[in-house]
Amino acid sequence: MERFSDGEMEAQQPYAYWLDGTEKISGAVKRKLLSLFGSPEEVCLAKKERLAPFLTDVQIQALKAGKARGEEYYRLSEEGIAFYPFYHPRYPERLSHIPDRPFGLYVKGRLPEEKKRSLAVVGARNCSEYGRYLAESFGRELAGAGVQIVSGFARGVDGLAQEAAVRAGGSSFGVLGCGVDICYPSSHGRLYVEILEKGGLLSSYPPKTPPLSFHFPPRNRIISGLADAVLVIEAREKSGTLITVDMALEQGREVYAVPGRITDRLSDGCNRLLRQGAGAALSPAQLLAELEQSVWRGMGGAVERDKTERGKEALSEEEAALLELLEVTPLSPDGIRLRMKESRTLRDISLPDTMELLLGLVLKGRIRQTGGFYVRI
Amino acid sequence: MFSSMYAGGIAGMKAYPVRVEVDISRGLPGFELVGSLGKEVREGKERVQIALKNAGFSLPVARITVNLSPADIQKEGTGYDLAIAAGLLACMGTIDPGSLAETAFLGELALDGEVRRVNGVLPVALAMREAGIRNLVVPAENAAEGESVSGIRVTGVENMKEFLTYLQAGPEERSRLFSERREGARQGGGAGGQEKRGTPDFSDVYGQESARRAAEIAAAGFHHLLLAGPPGAGKTMIASRMAGILPPLTDGERMEVASIYSIAGKLEERKAGSFTRPFVAPHHTVSPQGLAGGGRLPRPGMLSLAHRGILFLDEMAEFSSETLEVLRQPMEDKTVRIVRSRGSWTYPADFMLVGAMNPCPCGYYPDRNRCGCSDTQIRRYLSRISGPILDRIDIVAETAAVQLKDLRGGEKGESSAAVRKRVEEARQRQKLRFGNGPYRFNGELSGRDAERYCALGTGERRFLERVFEAGEMSLRAYHKVLKLARTIADLDGEETIGTRHLSEAVYYNGGRKQFWKGE
Repeated sequence: MERFSDGEMEAQQPYAYWLDGTEKISGAVKRKLLSLFGSPEEVCLAKKERLAPFLTDVQIQALKAGKARGEEYYRLSEEGIAFYPFYHPRYPERLSHIPDRPFGLYVKGRLPEEKKRSLAVVGARNCSEYGRYLAESFGRELAGAGVQIVSGFARGVDGLAQEAAVRAGGSSFGVLGCGVDICYPSSHGRLYVEILEKGGLLSSYPPKTPPLSFHFPPRNRIISGLADAVLVIEAREKSGTLITVDMALEQGREVYAVPGRITDRLSDGCNRLLRQGAGAALSPAQLLAELEQSVWRGMGGAVERDKTERGKEALSEEEAALLELLEVTPLSPDGIRLRMKESRTLRDISLPDTMELLLGLVLKGRIRQTGGFYVRI
Repeated sequence: MFSSMYAGGIAGMKAYPVRVEVDISRGLPGFELVGSLGKEVREGKERVQIALKNAGFSLPVARITVNLSPADIQKEGTGYDLAIAAGLLACMGTIDPGSLAETAFLGELALDGEVRRVNGVLPVALAMREAGIRNLVVPAENAAEGESVSGIRVTGVENMKEFLTYLQAGPEERSRLFSERREGARQGGGAGGQEKRGTPDFSDVYGQESARRAAEIAAAGFHHLLLAGPPGAGKTMIASRMAGILPPLTDGERMEVASIYSIAGKLEERKAGSFTRPFVAPHHTVSPQGLAGGGRLPRPGMLSLAHRGILFLDEMAEFSSETLEVLRQPMEDKTVRIVRSRGSWTYPADFMLVGAMNPCPCGYYPDRNRCGCSDTQIRRYLSRISGPILDRIDIVAETAAVQLKDLRGGEKGESSAAVRKRVEEARQRQKLRFGNGPYRFNGELSGRDAERYCALGTGERRFLERVFEAGEMSLRAYHKVLKLARTIADLDGEETIGTRHLSEAVYYNGGRKQFWKGE
C-alpha cells in the first residue's frame, strides 16, 4: 500500500474510521482489503460486486451500514479522542511489529513516547495487601525513574500501579476493553482524570463501545505490545494476567514476576512463571538495573533519578521498633500486640498507647489503616 | 339493680382504670356488653355466664347490660372477666358492693371457674395505685408481678371458689387471705429476684483485646457498636457478654422493663435475670413488625423488649433492608410509634444496638488466601447496611480470627465485674457533666452539642486537623470521633481530651471507612 501525503491522510481518516468500526470484519481482512483497494475510501465506497469475492453478504451489508459512522469522525476531536490507523505515522512503533496488531487505535490523552522506556505492570484484580503494596511500590519507583507504566486500567494491581505512577509524577498508559470515552471500572473516576493529564488511555475499540467481557483478553496483546517488558505482580494459577504473559512471549517481550509465598494462591501464577524461567523481580531497583542491562541497553538518555523521595519525618525509638513489627499484609491491633509482647521495648505498652503510636506512624506516612487493620506502605 | 366495679385496661404502654357497670333490670331477657369492645372482651360474656353457672349461680332471666367505661376507648384482652363477674354477683345481691369500692379486678375466667393468667398486671397495678385504688385482685399466677408494686394490696386467686371467698369476706379478713401463698410467691420474685447465676462473663473471652475495648467504650458512652470479622472471631461471644458490663438496672428502670415484659406476656422469661439488662437477639429473618411491634392488637416488639438493654443483631447484613430501616426512628427518638387504623401506640425503645457481621460474603476478607470475593461483591455486601443506619453507629470494630496462641498462652480476659466498674465510673462522670439536661450519655450528643461538651485544646485540635488532612477521617466522622474520644477520656478518668484518646477514637472510627470507600 502506498504512503499517503499529510493532506490525503486527513481526507482518508473518516473512511479509515468507518472501516475500523465495522465489527463483522476481522483486522486481518481489513488490512488485506486495504492493500488490494489502495485506500480506505476505495474500500468503503467500492461496489458490492467488487467486494463480493472477499466478503460475505453480511459483512458487505455491515460495511455499507457504517456510512453514517464515517460522517461522525469529526466529532472525535471534539471529545479529545485521536484515531490512528495502523499505517498512520503516529501509530506506535512498538505495536506495528506485533502479530495481529490492531487495525486502528483510539487515544485519549497522549500516546506513549517511542524513545522512552516502557514497562507493563499487570496482576490480579482481587489482589491481596501484598499485591497492593507491590503494585504501588513498583509503580511509584519505576515511574519516578522515568519508566512509562502501561497497564490494563483494571481494579487491583493494574489500577494501583498506574495510580502510584501518576501520583509519583511519572506517566502511565491504560489500555481499555471499552471505548476510551468510558470510564470502566467506574470506581476509577479519579484515576481516569489523573491519567489523562500524565499519560493516556488507549483502546482498539471505537468510542462508546461498552466494556463486554470478551473485549478484555484481546486488549492484553496491546498492553504487552506497548511495553518493552512485562512485570507480573500477583496472579492466580488460571488468570487473565497470564494471557498477557502469553502475548508478551509471542511478541518477544521479557517477562518478570515477583515471587510470593508458595502457600498464597494469589502467588501461584507468579511462582509458576518463575519456575518456567521468567525473570525474578525482587525490588524496583534490581528490576530497573536488570532491564538496563538487557532490554534497555544502549537506550539513549540516562534514567531520570528518583525525584519522589519525600523528606520523611523522624521516628521515635518506640515508633521505629513498632514499625519493625508491621508487615505489608494486614495486621489487627491484637495481632500487633501479640508481637509487641514478645519484644523487649514494647512489652509494657497499653492498648490505647499502642493506638496512639500507630496513628503517629500513619500520620508520618509509614503505615496505613484499612478497616480495622494496619499495613506497611 | 345496678353496680359498678373497677378493672384495668391497657392502651399501648399505659394502663388506666376501667369502670365496669352492670345493670340488671326487667325487660326482654338478654345479655348485652357495650363500650368499644374487642372480640375477646365480648366473648367474656359466655365465659363469665358459664363459670358462674358452674359455681352455682344462674343469671336471672332479665335484661342484663354491662358497660365498660370510658366507652370511647377501644378495649382488648380477656382481663375484664373477673370484674364483670363481680359486678353481676353484686347486682344479684350475692355480695356487698360497698366494701369493693376501692378494689379492681383483672383476670380471665375459664368455663370451670379457674382464673387464668393475663398480660400487663404490673402496669395495671401501677396505674391503679396512681388512681387511688387500694386493692387489686389478679390471677394467682400473676400475683407476684403485682406484688412488686408497693402501696397497693394485690391478691391472687386461683379459681372461682377463692374469688368468692375473697368477695364474701369482710374487709379485715381479706387482707389475710392466701397470705401463705404470697410468701412463697415473693421468694420466686416478680420484678424482683436475684441476679441469675452462670451468666456469660467477659473473662471467657481470650485475646480480642481491641474488640473487648470497643465493647467497653460502647457500654460506657452508650455508643451503638458494629462488630465485623470472620466466622469464629468471637463477635457473638463478645456481644452476648455486653449486658453484663452495663450497670445494673435502677429501680425505676426495672419497673419500666418489667412493665414492657408484662404487657408482652414475657415476664416469666425475665424473672431470673431481672437485675441485669435485657439482651435481645432476634434472628435475621425477623419481620419489621416483629422488631417494631404491632399486630392487630399492638404488642411491644423486639426493640421495646430490648429497652434499657442491648439489641443484638447477629449477621446484620442478612436482615432485610426493610427490617433494618425500622431501626432508624427508634434509634433517634428512643421510642417506637405504631400507627394503626384504630389508633396509635407508643412503646419505649431505648436500646443500645450491637451488630455483628462478616466483612464480606464469604467471611474471610482481608485474608486473600481464603477470600475470593471481588471488590464489587464486598462493597455490595457491606452496602446492605444503609448510610443512615451506619450514621447512627459510632464504633465499627473489626475482629480478627482468634489465634491458637491466644487460646493457649494468652491471658484470660478481665472479668465482667472489673469492666463494669470502669463503665459505671465513666457513666457517673457523664451524669455529673450533663446534669438534668436532655443528654445522659456522650453517645447521644448531636452535632453542635458534641463540640460544646467535647471541647479540645489547641494542640488536640491541630492534631485532629492533621488526621483529617492525612485522609484518615472524613468530615462527617468528626463529631463521632469527638464523642468517642470524650467517652474514652471518661473511662480514663480525665476531664480533658488528649491526643491519646483521639487516637483511639480515630481507630475505632476507621472501621467505617471500609463501608464508605471513596468518601
